Amino acid sequence: MRRNWLGLRQTVNRNRTQVAILAGVTLLLLFALGGMSGGDWVITVLRGLAVGAVVFLVAAGFSLIFGLMDVLNLAHGALFMIGSYVGWTVYVRPDTAIDVITPLLLLAAGFGWMPLWQALLARVHLTSGVRRAAPWAGLALALALFAFSATRYPIAAWNPDVYDASPIVYAIAMDSGQEVIAQAPQVDGVTAALSMAGILVAGSLAAASVALVGHGQERRARRGEMRRAFTLGLALALSGVAVYALNEPLTRLIFELNTTWRFLIAVAAAVASGFFLGGLMEMTLIRPLYLRPIYQLMLTLGLAVMIREVVITIWGRPQITMPKPALFAGTGTGCPAQNLDDLLAHQCSTISFLGTRIRTYNEIFIIVVGLIVLIAIWLLLQRTRIGMIIRAGVQDRQMVEALGINVRRVFTFVFALGVGLATLGGVLAGPALGISDDMGESLLLLALIALAIGGLTSYPGAAVGAVLVGLLQQFIIKYGQVGIQLPFMTEPLKPSPPLVPASAVLLMVVVLLLLPNGLFGRKE
Amino acid sequence: MTPYNRHSMNNLLEVLDVHTSIGQFHILEGVTVNVPRGSITALLGRNGAGKTTTLKTIMGLTPPRRGQVLFDGQPIHAQHTFDIAAQGIGFVPDYRAIFRDLTVAENLQIAERKAGDLARKGELIFQLFPDLKRLIHLRGNQLSGGQQQMLAIARALVADNQLLLIDEPSEGLAPIIVEQLMEAIVQLSAATTIVLVEQNFAVASQLAKHYVILEEGRSVRNGLMTDLVHDHATIQRYLGVM
Repeated sequence: MRRNWLGLRQTVNRNRTQVAILAGVTLLLLFALGGMSGGDWVITVLRGLAVGAVVFLVAAGFSLIFGLMDVLNLAHGALFMIGSYVGWTVYVRPDTAIDVITPLLLLAAGFGWMPLWQALLARVHLTSGVRRAAPWAGLALALALFAFSATRYPIAAWNPDVYDASPIVYAIAMDSGQEVIAQAPQVDGVTAALSMAGILVAGSLAAASVALVGHGQERRARRGEMRRAFTLGLALALSGVAVYALNEPLTRLIFELNTTWRFLIAVAAAVASGFFLGGLMEMTLIRPLYLRPIYQLMLTLGLAVMIREVVITIWGRPQITMPKPALFAGTGTGCPAQNLDDLLAHQCSTISFLGTRIRTYNEIFIIVVGLIVLIAIWLLLQRTRIGMIIRAGVQDRQMVEALGINVRRVFTFVFALGVGLATLGGVLAGPALGISDDMGESLLLLALIALAIGGLTSYPGAAVGAVLVGLLQQFIIKYGQVGIQLPFMTEPLKPSPPLVPASAVLLMVVVLLLLPNGLFGRKE
Repeated sequence: MTPYNRHSMNNLLEVLDVHTSIGQFHILEGVTVNVPRGSITALLGRNGAGKTTTLKTIMGLTPPRRGQVLFDGQPIHAQHTFDIAAQGIGFVPDYRAIFRDLTVAENLQIAERKAGDLARKGELIFQLFPDLKRLIHLRGNQLSGGQQQMLAIARALVADNQLLLIDEPSEGLAPIIVEQLMEAIVQLSAATTIVLVEQNFAVASQLAKHYVILEEGRSVRNGLMTDLVHDHATIQRYLGVM
C-alpha cells in the first residue's frame, strides 16, 4: 500500500506539468458545469469526445507514420476523405461498388505478376535511352487502354452533373427507405470479355513499365517467388471474372441485407481500401524518397490536391449525406429511448437524458469505436513484437536494423495501418458530419493541431490532444448558444462562430509556449 | 596474389582498404583491419581517427565507397545493415542506443532472431550482468550509464553472434563499473570474436590480443598488443599517452 502510494507520488513528480494541465482541464470542465444545464454539459462533453475520436483516428495514423519514418504525410486528410467516399459508395450504392470490383481485381492481377515482368525484362537488353523513355510510353499506353476498356465495362454509375442521378438523390432515397437499383448499361458478353481482357493487359503493361524503372537494380526473383506471383495474379484475375459472373446475385444479396450489415461492410471496405492504398503509396511513391524529405512534402501535398480533384470528378462538388444504419436510426414507438433497455429494443436514434436528446450514432457510437481503436492500437504497440519494433524504431531506426531486423518491411505495414485508421475515421464521420470534398483539409488541420498539443510522435499525446481540441471546440460552440458568464462582465459573453476554428490554434499556442514539445513530447 | 584475394581462414573479419565518405567528408581513406578468430582486436587512435566510422562501415550503416569487407570469407559491404547483422554480427555503439521507451526485458527480446533466443541465452547474460535481472522491468530511460552499457552488450549477446563490435564501452563510466565490464568482455572473448574501440589505452592493452592503429582515416600500424605495450615511441606518436 505504502509502496504504491510512493510510486504514485514519483509519477506525479516526474510528470508535474501533465498533472497540472489535467487538473486545469478538469477544473475548467467543472466550472463549465456551473454555467449551463446538466444536460447541455453532458451533450457538449459527448460531442467533444466524438469529434476528438475522429480527430484521434487521423492524428494517430499520422503520428505513427511520422514517428517511424519521418514522413509528414500531408495527403492524410485526403485519404481520410477517401474513406468517407468509399464507405458511402459501398453503403449507398453497393451495386456500383460490386461493379467496380472486377476492373480493380484485373488491374491488381497485372501488378501481382510484377516479378514475372521483371524476369522477362531482365532477359531483354535495352539501351539507356529506351530504358528511360519506355516506362513513360508504357504508362501512357496503359492509361489509354485502361480508359478505353473500363468505359466499355458495364458499371452502374451515378452522374454528379444531373441532379436526378446525382449521389445526393441516391442518399436521400435510401434514407427515406425507397431503394432503386440503378440499371447498369447493358453490354453483350463479347464486349464485356474484351473490356476485361483490355483492363488485364493495361494492368500488366503498367506493372511492366513500373518494373522497368528499377531495371537492372532488382535482385533476381527466385523460382518459388515467381510461381507464387503467378498464382496470385491468376487468382486475382479469376476472382475478377467470378465477380463479373456473380454480379447480379451478389448485388441482390447486399440490397436484401439490413442497413446495419451494409454499414459494417462499408466500414470494412473503407478500412481495406485505406490499408491497400497506404501500402501501395509507401511501396511506390514514398520509398524512393526516404532520403529527400522536401520531395516527400511536395509529393504528399500534390497527392492531396490530386485526390481531391479526382473525388470532385467522380462524386461531384456538393456535400452528400450518408444515412445512418438501422441500428441507430429508429424513430418509431418507444423513441427517443428513456433507458438502455428501450434503446436496445427499438434501436432508437436518440436517447433522452437530463432533458436533452443524445444521438446514439453521433455522440455514443463514434466515441465507443474511438475507444476500441485506442485500446487495440495500444495493445498492438505494447504487446506484440511488431509493436516493440515500431516503438524502438521511432527512437533509433539504425540500431533496430543493426539488430538484424528489416525495418523497411515494418514501414509498409505502418503506412498501411496509418492510412487504414484515417479511412476508418472517414467512414465513421460520414453519417455524423456529412461528406464533402473539403472535409479532409479541415480534419488534417485539426489533427496536426492535436499532435502539436500532445507531442508529435507520442501515442497517448495524439489521444489527449485530439480530445482537448474536440472538447474546446464543442464548448465554444455551446457557449455561442447559451453565453458564458465571466467575472466583471454584466452580460454573458457569446463567442462568435469564427472563434471555433481559432480556438484550437489558440490552445496550441498556449500549450507550445508552456511546453515546446507538447504535453507528452520528448525533448530532442 | 592480389591483396583482395589473400583471405585467410584464420580471420573472421577482413576490412580491406576501405574508403568511406559521410556527406562530402572523406572520413576513411584506406583502412585495413584483419580480425583473427577467437580473440579481441582493439582499434586504437586519437579522436576523429575513424574508429567509430570503421565499425559503422562494417555494419553497413555508412557503406564504403571503395574497398571490401569480408565476413567469414564472404563479401558483406554491399548488403543492407539488417542482412549484415543477421549473419551473426552484434553491434554495441558508443552512444549505447538503448531503446528508452522499452523495458530492459523488451530491449533484450527485440534482439531475438529466432524464437527462444533469449530463453537460451538468458542464463549467460544474467551471469555476466546480474544487475540486469533486478532491473528487468525498468524502462531504458530509467537506467544509469553503466547499466545502459551492460544492457547494450547484453542485447548483442541475445542472438547467436560470432562477432561483436563494441565501441567505447568504458566511456564516462566509474572505474568500478569499467572493471566489471572488462571482466565480462574477457569472459565473452572465450567464445566470441570481438572488435573493441577503446580510448583508454590501459583498458585496451589489458583486454586485446591484437591491435590496429588508425590515424586520419588510415590504418597505420597493426600487430600484437604484447609488442605494442613496449613500443613507447609508437604509443607516443599515435596515441599520445604515457
